[in-house]
Amino acid sequence: MTDNILVIEDLHKSYGDLKVLKGVSLKVTKGETVVIMGPSGSGKSTLLRCIVRLVEPNSGKIWIDGVEVTDPKTDLKEIRKHVGFVFQQFNLFPHMKVIDNITLALTKVHGLDKEKAEERALKVLKKVGLEEKAYAYPGQLSGGQQQRVAIARALAIEPKLILFDEPTSALDPELIGEVLITMEEIAKEGKTMVVVTHEVDFAREVADRVIFIDHGKILEEADPEKFFTNPEHPRLKSFLKRLLERV
Amino acid sequence: MPIDAVSNFFNWIVFVVNFMWGRIPFMLDGAKLTVYIAVMAFILGNLIGIVMGILRVSGVSILEAISTLYIETIRGTPLVVQILIVYFGIPIATGIRFDPVMAGILTMGLNSGAYQAEIVRSGIKGIPRGQLEAAESLGFTYWQSMRYVIIPQALRIVIPAFVNELATLLKDTSILIIIGVHELTRRGQYIAAWSYRYFEVYITIAFIYLIMVLIVSRIARLIEKKVRIPGLGVAGGRL
Repeated sequence: MTDNILVIEDLHKSYGDLKVLKGVSLKVTKGETVVIMGPSGSGKSTLLRCIVRLVEPNSGKIWIDGVEVTDPKTDLKEIRKHVGFVFQQFNLFPHMKVIDNITLALTKVHGLDKEKAEERALKVLKKVGLEEKAYAYPGQLSGGQQQRVAIARALAIEPKLILFDEPTSALDPELIGEVLITMEEIAKEGKTMVVVTHEVDFAREVADRVIFIDHGKILEEADPEKFFTNPEHPRLKSFLKRLLERV
Repeated sequence: MPIDAVSNFFNWIVFVVNFMWGRIPFMLDGAKLTVYIAVMAFILGNLIGIVMGILRVSGVSILEAISTLYIETIRGTPLVVQILIVYFGIPIATGIRFDPVMAGILTMGLNSGAYQAEIVRSGIKGIPRGQLEAAESLGFTYWQSMRYVIIPQALRIVIPAFVNELATLLKDTSILIIIGVHELTRRGQYIAAWSYRYFEVYITIAFIYLIMVLIVSRIARLIEKKVRIPGLGVAGGRL
């Protein structure tokens, strides 16, 4: 075995006549941070969702740490137990305190006892700097804090891989920084991350590799330095031009 | 002349209050039965509604079909006819006989269950898709997601609709006069038939219903406050 955490081979997905993914292949090794960029509607979110089969792919194969996700015999729960997912809209459970948001999966899915689960929840909350909010409800937190709790929830399951789906797109500009800093710290600890984002600075400074997706295909794949300063594909050039003008 | 009219009206009010005052205990006994039937029917309907509402969105086609059949049948037929079937029809067909109060509770509970099922279903549908996605991404099964994440939120959202249903039941119990249940309206009929004071009696009866409904909506507001999710505006409301 290599130390590939994630392997995707020739992934296809369409909604009716609309082809969203047209043969995506990708490898992510242990400890790597891969940033995926691309215009909206290019299939980035669908790709992330296919990895844990929140969306069923039409064809292609996916392996996570050597286990084939796309095999119908694979227990999805076993896969999802080891993959964290951070959503654009946070998707915290609003009727539960922050700490219960984190312990729920630990006790009901991972089989930890309550005490152990709470201990671990407080540990990850401390990591994202929100230990003192453990007994607040999500609705009492700012958007940035909610997203950091969502990250803590993903971290708590001690995942082999964390997927981020535009984690800062729903945030007010002044709250984006705190979330990106949290993500950067996690990346530095050696977690394997796949991040869909439009944040150029994050990609430049944190990513090991940046991938450009458009119309359901990977068009370019490079280290951040080359990706931003010397892009090859014309569509990436125009995408970056639009993206950088915005800033 | 206007002076006369005013004093006539005044005299009438005094008469009505005096006359009705003596009948209050008799009417309140009826009101108690009304509340009893409405509350029991509501509880029965609540149990049926929660089960049927969840089956309706279970994703299992046979269960969805059963629930749909139940809801459509009940909602597609008049309550009065349902009462007649349960009270007069079923004893003849099966030999099982209910007393009028039991028949009333049973019919109104079964009936309300169909409406409450629709309330529960709309509550579940009202929870953003992301909640289910988040729960499933954490490794929960569909049923675990429902149990821990979706349903607790959905039930909070639908509290006002549930209360509305209880108020409707309080009022609708009045049609149980057709099978002779001695509830509030039936007792009004007695007093009116005996005194010929139809107008005064039925106005008073209406007034008692109004007070009961107002009390129910007051209690509802207290419950809503109690189960409110901190940080969210209304019970279960979204940011």
